[in-house]
Formats: sequence, structure tokens, C-alpha cells
Amino acid sequence: MNRGVVMNKPIPEQKKVAPFMLFYIVASIQIGVGILSFQRDLVKVTGYDGWISIIINGIGTIILIWMIVQMTTTIEGDLLDIVSFSLGKWISKLIGLFYMLYFSLFSITVLRNYVEMIQVWMFPKLPIFWFSLVILLLVLYVVYGGFRTVAGISFFSFFLPMYIFPLFLFTVPHADFTNLLPIFDHSVKELFFGSYQMSLSILGFESILFVYPFLKEPKKAIKWAYLAIIFTISIYLYLALLSFSYFSEAQLVKNHWPTLTMWKIIRLPFVERFEYIGIATWCLIVLPNICISLWIASRLAKQIFFIRQKQALLFISGIVLIVTSMIMKRSQVLFVSQLLGKIGFFANYCFIPILYFITMFAKKVKKQ
Amino acid sequence: MKRKKQSVQSIKTVFTKSQDYKRICYENKITKLTFTLTFLTTVTDEKIVRDHILPFLLENEWTKLEDVKSILPIEDLQLTDDTSQIEKKLLNGFVMLTLEKEQQYCFISAKKENIRNITVPEVEFSVIGPKEAFVESLSENLNLIRKRLQVKELIVEQLEVGTLSKTNIVLLYLDGITNEANINTMRQRIKDLEVDHIADSSYIVQMISDNQNSPFPQFLDTERPDRVAATLSEGKVVLLVDGSPHAIIGPVTIVEFFSAFEDYFLNWILASFFRLIRFFAVAFSVLVTPIYVATLTYHYELIPQDLIGILVTSRRAVPFPPIIEALFLELTIELLREAGARLPTKVGQTIGIVGGIVIGTASVEAGLTSNVLLIFVALAALASFTTPVYRIGNTIRLLRFPFLLVGDIWGLIGISLCFSFLLTHMIRLTSLGRPYLEPIYPPRLQDFKDAFIRLPFYKQSKRPNQLRTKKASRFDRKNVIKKVKKDIDE
Repeated sequence: MNRGVVMNKPIPEQKKVAPFMLFYIVASIQIGVGILSFQRDLVKVTGYDGWISIIINGIGTIILIWMIVQMTTTIEGDLLDIVSFSLGKWISKLIGLFYMLYFSLFSITVLRNYVEMIQVWMFPKLPIFWFSLVILLLVLYVVYGGFRTVAGISFFSFFLPMYIFPLFLFTVPHADFTNLLPIFDHSVKELFFGSYQMSLSILGFESILFVYPFLKEPKKAIKWAYLAIIFTISIYLYLALLSFSYFSEAQLVKNHWPTLTMWKIIRLPFVERFEYIGIATWCLIVLPNICISLWIASRLAKQIFFIRQKQALLFISGIVLIVTSMIMKRSQVLFVSQLLGKIGFFANYCFIPILYFITMFAKKVKKQ
Repeated sequence: MKRKKQSVQSIKTVFTKSQDYKRICYENKITKLTFTLTFLTTVTDEKIVRDHILPFLLENEWTKLEDVKSILPIEDLQLTDDTSQIEKKLLNGFVMLTLEKEQQYCFISAKKENIRNITVPEVEFSVIGPKEAFVESLSENLNLIRKRLQVKELIVEQLEVGTLSKTNIVLLYLDGITNEANINTMRQRIKDLEVDHIADSSYIVQMISDNQNSPFPQFLDTERPDRVAATLSEGKVVLLVDGSPHAIIGPVTIVEFFSAFEDYFLNWILASFFRLIRFFAVAFSVLVTPIYVATLTYHYELIPQDLIGILVTSRRAVPFPPIIEALFLELTIELLREAGARLPTKVGQTIGIVGGIVIGTASVEAGLTSNVLLIFVALAALASFTTPVYRIGNTIRLLRFPFLLVGDIWGLIGISLCFSFLLTHMIRLTSLGRPYLEPIYPPRLQDFKDAFIRLPFYKQSKRPNQLRTKKASRFDRKNVIKKVKKDIDE
């Protein structure tokens, strides 16, 4: 019983962050490695109508966020509290375990994709193990600083790489926006399948379910969650429209990193080959992805197994390091990414609505 | 009674070993009363004993220690029967007056103080503004501050640190303005210090820092009393250490280390411009050589064709990889700085000229380094000297070395990783428990008014959010705005 008390220990006020930080947390975990390559999978299914799929996906995500917000505000707790309220304590632990593994896989995918990108674009012989080790040490340093530091890294990873996004406009003189016409060239089924393809890129908003107890005045944070989704969807739309008009459909299908290829056109008086700077800057964008996901995974481990979060974090990052360095081939990287996409789709778009209805039902029953 | 006698006796035996211990018996001319004066000649002022104590004790009529209070023209006079005080008082420059028949001791202050004249601030010199700097005397420094803040709310709390040095430390704050938690943290940290000897305030600064394993200074130290008064009125806590000409100010944020106090003497537009230049200089100083090394080692495709021509020509004769070349030059600069700092000013200048011109030109001509890098390194060194606070300048100079090394290992990615480490470190740092990167993170828009730029004084009506002061507003802004927002021809 004593241990149960430890689990529900309230978070001290000085460890919490301001409500608007939710914007940076959600936006920074959503923009990661997916944004560099989402065009290819999208174009394969929906062609130049892909932007419609992005909008559909955005609407779906906003509905999910609404459900998450409804659940967190009625229960006033994180995912474990919600599940144990509606389904009981043991199932909550099972679900927690599932999410712990899911977020560990999330960090593996992000890390390995970033390493892959560096290997292809900059250093073909970059040792996966040593590089992952350095990144994970950095992540440990961040997460040991507590949630405030994690949120701080998200904050900086939002603002510091901001300068990159206007630079994509260098493609406009070479773009042909008539590529987008005719609109609605694909069936509704294809468009929905396209928006399913988008779900890997947009994963991460479910972190709201876990960071909720760390927000000061959480009710005020709700609008920032919506704004974050609108922001990421518009960034994806912006990149999709630019790359659709810049590349031909056949090129896009063959190109693994259309976003990166767009950088090649950038030419400044003192810099050519901007992609080198871009990939180096991307380190800052990838960092909060891994930090937030490992923070969530280790916190879940703490809540489920009653161990210290530091130990849990060390253990999980050790596993992440081993798994990451075991993924050697490009095909394996793609497999892991697709696996994460499938699990993520299940975790977000199937489980959360089901949980929402169960929670609302349980609430009504308990009221009576 | 016996124990008391013993302790007095033991003090005497210890002291008689010292050559400056004096114990003299006198007889009053009128009452024929014998009394004894005990003091240490090295800490008491002979003049006071000769002119202000002895004549009065010898020629006036008195029989009890009580009477002394009325005949001596010295206000700091204490009567006590506490023997434990003897040692401390004697060492503090008091003269002990004792009578055979009385068990009490009378301590008369005759402190000898050698005070350096108040001089012009040398480290934080400003062309405009007050020219007074702190000296080594605590009372003199307090005087300099009191003069500038003539309110009863200015609280002066005394603390003592050091089992051997017995250093007096004074905690200053404005009652009713400064945050209680900040005062308590500061006081508690001083009280918790376990140390025998304190030589300077820099000892204290290091020992009370939130994170002692950080190259970043977490307290600001200044030699300007005007700056101390200004920060006190902002709501900060200040420490003065006896024997040190520097005051310690906390809590601070990183941006304060880049603001010179002169910024407040200049018009806000100029001051803001100079501040921005300083921030740019620091970024340049830390990153320019690492980026040079990274691009020339791995990413030469990044450099446009016309520019790479110049670089290749300048590096054609250099036999070393960029990292060796850069380390060689950076270390030379550090050597020059270190040598210049240890030598007297006039010799130091010669060293600067010899080093700067002779070694620089010669190493380029000998083909050891490229002249492009020489320009970068010299500019970076120059930029690192623009920091108005000495301590942060040292930090900036140290920071470029890890950047150089990672730039050589993983190119731009390495620099980016190193930057992330640095950023995380700064996010985690606190000063007196308050975030160090404020107002950038946690973002507090209100505090940006005096961070990267300094807005005009009428906009500075609120005390910094960071300090969580008890009284947030400094003055009523409405009246000021009325004056500013007048319509045309009114």
C-alpha cells in the first residue's frame, strides 16, 4: 500500500511548466524525422492529391486531441489514472507497459533514422554505436534535469531551427504549381489510405496524455495543444505543396528524402550545399523527440514497476542503444519505421477513441 | 570561578608567545587606582590608545569600570564578564581594561584600519558615470552603498565565516522588496559553509554556487557601488565580504553577464545596439574556429567556389590538418593572454606586440598556419574581450576548445551536438534556485525589456519577474505614459 502512495505522489509546483509549454512539447515531438521523407509514401498512394490526405489527417488528429482533453480534464490525471479509473489497476499497468515499449520503439526509430540520414548524406562510415551512445548520453543529461529541462529542449528545438523553414522558398522560382491540378483525382478510399500513411509522421501528440500532470493550470493548456496540431499540419502542408510543385511525381516516388533534396537548390553568398548545415541543425529537432519519448517511457516504468526513474531511464536507454546499433541495413530501418507506424496507428487512432468511450461510460455509471 | 580564572590564564599564556601582545599596568593620578590595559599592538591604533584612552584614564577621577563609559570619548565600549569574548575582542583590535578587584572586563575599540583610497573602477571602467570602486574595508564599502540608498529598508545583516579567518560577511537587501526565499537561501548557504580560511569574495562565490562543477559564473561580482545600489533596488540580494573589493550579486541570469553598467548611462538605442554587438561577438568568438575546422576537414563543398579559392591558396603551404593549425594558434593566443596577465602592465604591452605581430606574421611566413585562420583567431580573441564581466570572458575562452575538438571528430554534426550539450547545461543551471537562462527559457516576455536590448527607463516600471519581488512595480507608470503620449501640438 505504501508504494501505491509513492506512485500517486503529486508533482511539486516548481517542477511543473507553464501551460503554453504544451505547444512546444507537442509541436517538437511531432516534427522529427518523418517530415523529411513523408512525401514519398504519400505520393505513392494519392499522387498530387496528397495534401488533401494531410488535411484529413489533421482533422482526425484534432478530434483525437479533443477526446484526450476530455479524458484528462474529467479524470485530472495521466493515461494510467484514466485507464485505472475506467478499466482497473491491472489493465492500466498492461496498457502502461504497452506505451512504455511503444515510446522506446519511437525513440529507436527516430534515432536510427537520423543516423541513417547522416550516413547517406554526410558520413557514410559514421559508427552507429558510438554516435547513438553520444546522443543517448546527451538525452540522459537532458532527462536527468527533469521535465523542465525536457520542455526547455523542446522550446529551443522549436525556435532555433525556425530559420530553415523560410529557406524552402528557394524552390519557388523553379516550382510549377499547376502540378497540383486537377484536384480530387483520387478516390476517397485512396485519400483516407494516404492519411493513414501520414500517421507515422504525425505521431507523438499522445504525449499529452503523459505530460498532463506536469502542466500548471492544465485547463489553460488545451488551446495550446490544438494550436500545436494546427502548426504541425500547416508545416506539413507547406512542405507537401512546395515539394509537389517542385518535383515530378515520378521523382518523388524514387526520392527517399524529398525535403532534404529541396535544400540542394539553396545558394547563399557564403554557403553552398546547405544540406550539411540543415542536417547538423536537425540534431536539435531530433533531440526532443528522443528526450520526450524516453522521459515518458522511464516515467511509465517508474509508475508500473515502482523503481527510480533514473534507473529505469538508464536501463531503457541501454536497450535503445543496443537495438539501434543492431539495425544495420536500410531495409531494416524501413521495417522498424513501418512497424512503429502501425503500432502508433493502433495506439492512437484505435485505442484512444475506444478508451474515450469506455471512460465516458464508466463516468456515467459511477455517477449513478 | 576557578574555571574562569583558568581560561583567562590560558589565553594569557598563549598570547605571551606573540611578540605584539602588551599588558601594561597604570596608576590613576587622582584616585591612585591601578588598572591594566591589555591589547595587541598590531591590530590596535597606537594613536587612539595614546591620545584618546590613556590621558582620560590617567587624569580623570574614576573608581569603577562603570565610570569609564562617561569619561572616554569613544562610543564603542563594552562591559562584560564573559571570558570567552576576550580572545575574539583582543584580535579584533579592542583594548581590554581590567581592575584587580572587579571580575568584569571593559573592551574599548581602538581598531587600526588601513584603508586604501577609493579609486576608479579598473575592471568595470566606464567613461561616463560615477568613478568610485569598492575598497578592502567592509565599513567603507557599506558607506558607499548606504550613501546611494538612504532608506531604512536597506537591511545589513552580519554573518561570520571561517574558523581561522573569522571573515565578516554582510548580507544586504531591501526589506519589503526582495523575495524572502532568495534572502533565506543566500543566508542559509553562507551559514552552511564549512571552511577555515576565506581570502576573498571569489572563495564565497564558488562555494555558494548552485552548481560548482560548471564553468559558468552563477553570481555576478562587481566593484561598482552604483551597480550594487541599482541591483539592490531591483530586488536582488547582495553579499559584501570583509577584505574584498568585490560585491556578490544574486540571483542573476546569463544575459546580465553581457550587460555593462555603462549601458544604463547611454541612450537606450545605443545601449541596445552595443549589447547586441556583444552577443554577436560572443557567438562569433566561440564558433568561428570550430566551424573553420569542421568545414575545412569535412565539408569543403559547403564553401562557394570563389571563397574556397582564397582558402586553398592560404592553406597551400600548411603541412598540418586544420585542427592542429587551429589549436596551435588558439593556444598561442591563450599563452599571450596568460603571460600578459601575469606581467606588469608595461612589460605586458611589449609581450602583446611581440606576440601579436611577430609570432603571427612569422608563423604565416614559415607556413605553419594560414593567414585566413590567423585573422579568424585574432578576431575571435578580440571578440572574447568585449564581455563586460571578467568572469564570463574566461568562460567564453574556454568554451571554444571542446567545440574545436568535436568539430574535428564529427564536423558540423559534432558542433551541433556540443551546442546541444551546452544548451542543456544552461537550461539546467540555476542561480539561487532561479533559472539561469531566463528570460529566454522559461520564456518571460516582460523581462526581455532589459535583456538583449535595454528599453527606455519609462518602460522599466516593473521589477524583473525572475526575482519574484514582493513589490513588483518600481514606479507608477501611468503618470509617465501621460507625459510620453501627448498628441501633436499639446
